[in-house]
Amino acid sequence: MPEGQRTTRVPLVERVLEANDEVAAGVRVELERRGIFSVDLIGAPGSGKTALLEATLRALRGRRHPAVLVGDLATRRDGDRLARWCDKVVQISTGQGCHLEANQVRDALAEIELDTVDLLFIENVGNLICPVGFDLGQASKVGLFSLTEGDDKAAKHPYLVEAADLVLLNKIDLLPYLSFDRRTFEADVHLLNPRVPILDVSATTGEGLDAWIAWLER
Amino acid sequence: MLGVHEFSIAEALAAQVQRHAPATGRVREVEITVGALRGLEPDSLRMCWEAVTHGTPIAGSVLRVDLRPWSITCSTCGRTWSSPVPFVACTCGDLAPVPTAGDELDLVSLTIDEEDS
Repeated sequence: MPEGQRTTRVPLVERVLEANDEVAAGVRVELERRGIFSVDLIGAPGSGKTALLEATLRALRGRRHPAVLVGDLATRRDGDRLARWCDKVVQISTGQGCHLEANQVRDALAEIELDTVDLLFIENVGNLICPVGFDLGQASKVGLFSLTEGDDKAAKHPYLVEAADLVLLNKIDLLPYLSFDRRTFEADVHLLNPRVPILDVSATTGEGLDAWIAWLER
Repeated sequence: MLGVHEFSIAEALAAQVQRHAPATGRVREVEITVGALRGLEPDSLRMCWEAVTHGTPIAGSVLRVDLRPWSITCSTCGRTWSSPVPFVACTCGDLAPVPTAGDELDLVSLTIDEEDS
């Protein structure tokens, strides 16, 4: 060390994502105050997040008053698809961001008349890793996997499995045509998160949607 | 290749460190602890750290990553050990011991060089 210089170690204990978590806490308080149940839907690109929400919104029409926030790196295509079934949809363009952050959710919620809303879906950017670590203020995290991704997807993404309040297994109608081992998938999920429910669904055929909606309304 | 996953974490950390960095003196080292659940690669984090701190007052600082591994517990023989990966067999023959890990992501310390006045 050069003369006349000293080195000090400054201990700190601070969460790296503290700034995000503080905004998320504010969002959570606001949603709870309004009695809005909220879901952060996390899944890989092509797992069927938007298709599942289309089918869910269709099934809930006339019964519930949902709002949807949908994050994508580019395009408004998902938002346009969902707007056919719901009049409160905000598309969040994340640019280079591979996940949603709490301030984006807070700002998008400010664009919606929330007084009549009783259910909020947040479709995260298609990604099984980054979105998990960013609290958005949601009530529940839902991990969406699909048969075409392979039965080892859960084991390879333990953080999502561990953090999920519900695991959905989409495209279940394709089970006869794929070498997907449903038992391996379930065993891996429950090794990481013993109590998480797993629901088989097909956004295309509607199979299992009743159980998913019952979970939302439990 | 820069992992995009590590990039956003490095960006958040750089902003946080700059808030703590003293007006005089230079940040020599930044120490963080990371739970295995986060799935962050220390090498990738360090590369991202160089990229996001480039041209800032904390450029040249070293990122030290204390990665907390998985803890594996075998329900057959009761053995517990650490592992960098979650799905491993036990030496007793049990193929599915229980993996647990934390998701901590904490800034633990800054080491700062200061001129004596």
